[in-house]
Amino acid sequence: MMTDDTAAAPTVHAIDEIVAKPGEGKALLEDYLARYAPGARARGMTLEQILVSPPMWLDDQSNTLVFLWSLAGAGAWWQMRFVGGNDPDVGAWWADADARAVSRRRFFASDPADMERLCDV
Amino acid sequence: MYRLTRLVTLADSGRLSALADEMRALATAHSAYRQLVAPTLAGSHFGGELLAHFAFDDAVQRSDFDAALAPLFAAPAVASVDGVAYQSGPGGRSEPGLANGVYRVLLLSVDEDTDPALVERFEAETRMMPHYIPAIRGWQLSRADEATGARRWTHVWEQEYADVGGLMGPYMMHPYHWARIDRWFDPECPDRIVDARLCHSFCAMEASVL
Repeated sequence: MMTDDTAAAPTVHAIDEIVAKPGEGKALLEDYLARYAPGARARGMTLEQILVSPPMWLDDQSNTLVFLWSLAGAGAWWQMRFVGGNDPDVGAWWADADARAVSRRRFFASDPADMERLCDV
Repeated sequence: MYRLTRLVTLADSGRLSALADEMRALATAHSAYRQLVAPTLAGSHFGGELLAHFAFDDAVQRSDFDAALAPLFAAPAVASVDGVAYQSGPGGRSEPGLANGVYRVLLLSVDEDTDPALVERFEAETRMMPHYIPAIRGWQLSRADEATGARRWTHVWEQEYADVGGLMGPYMMHPYHWARIDRWFDPECPDRIVDARLCHSFCAMEASVL
């Protein structure tokens, strides 16, 4: 029988929410996938879902892009954080993305069912 | 309470023990009422080989002691020193009975142009870490009066643990740390206000110094 000690670490999520400058949404999505996503995958992140709001490209208003990533637990999160946080190319990407965005948020989350285990450290 | 913390990186590690003894003797001669001088433990990052923490009753005592330390740090055996002089910040918790534990210090530098309201929010959220992470037995978050070293250190975040497991386990792995507080430090997060260069240093302590 599997015990808590041997169970897989609870999945954690990193969520990027980017409000693109008017007319920039489609190009920013394409650049995110071309310039950011490959490195993120190499840092242990799995891209689970992309959402675009509204679901049409706007020329004169902002699209909001949402990227839902998963990581295999808090240990994998720190691995991602240490590598990405020390990579100047990652910093350069975000500086460029921020210049093409109205606003941006990155936050971290889990399934409610995993909260107790994540806090039991 | 006037405090001084120094993280000493040595060019000649063979001088570690002698330098530590000289610092302890100087601190005693300058009436430090609390002192900790100890080798840093593996896992420290830009934390030096020697961690030194001192507390004095007044600013003059601290200043005189700092001046007396200068010739020691000017010696060829010392490669570099990072450190801060500060007064104990608001809040904080000490556990005087905590013995044979681990003392940890983080020196950090908040960007100069940061909105003061954001700095206060960062400080308030950091002060809540012990509320969510009970392994932090003693703690103090303080603004630096003076700084020396690789950055213009603005804050010193000190904690005490029963053992190194408290630092490496609950402190690092609790979601309040990585999913909440770390965004102030993470270059990938737009909320970041803290310079990526940090001094993370910890050592064994016989008795609580906070």
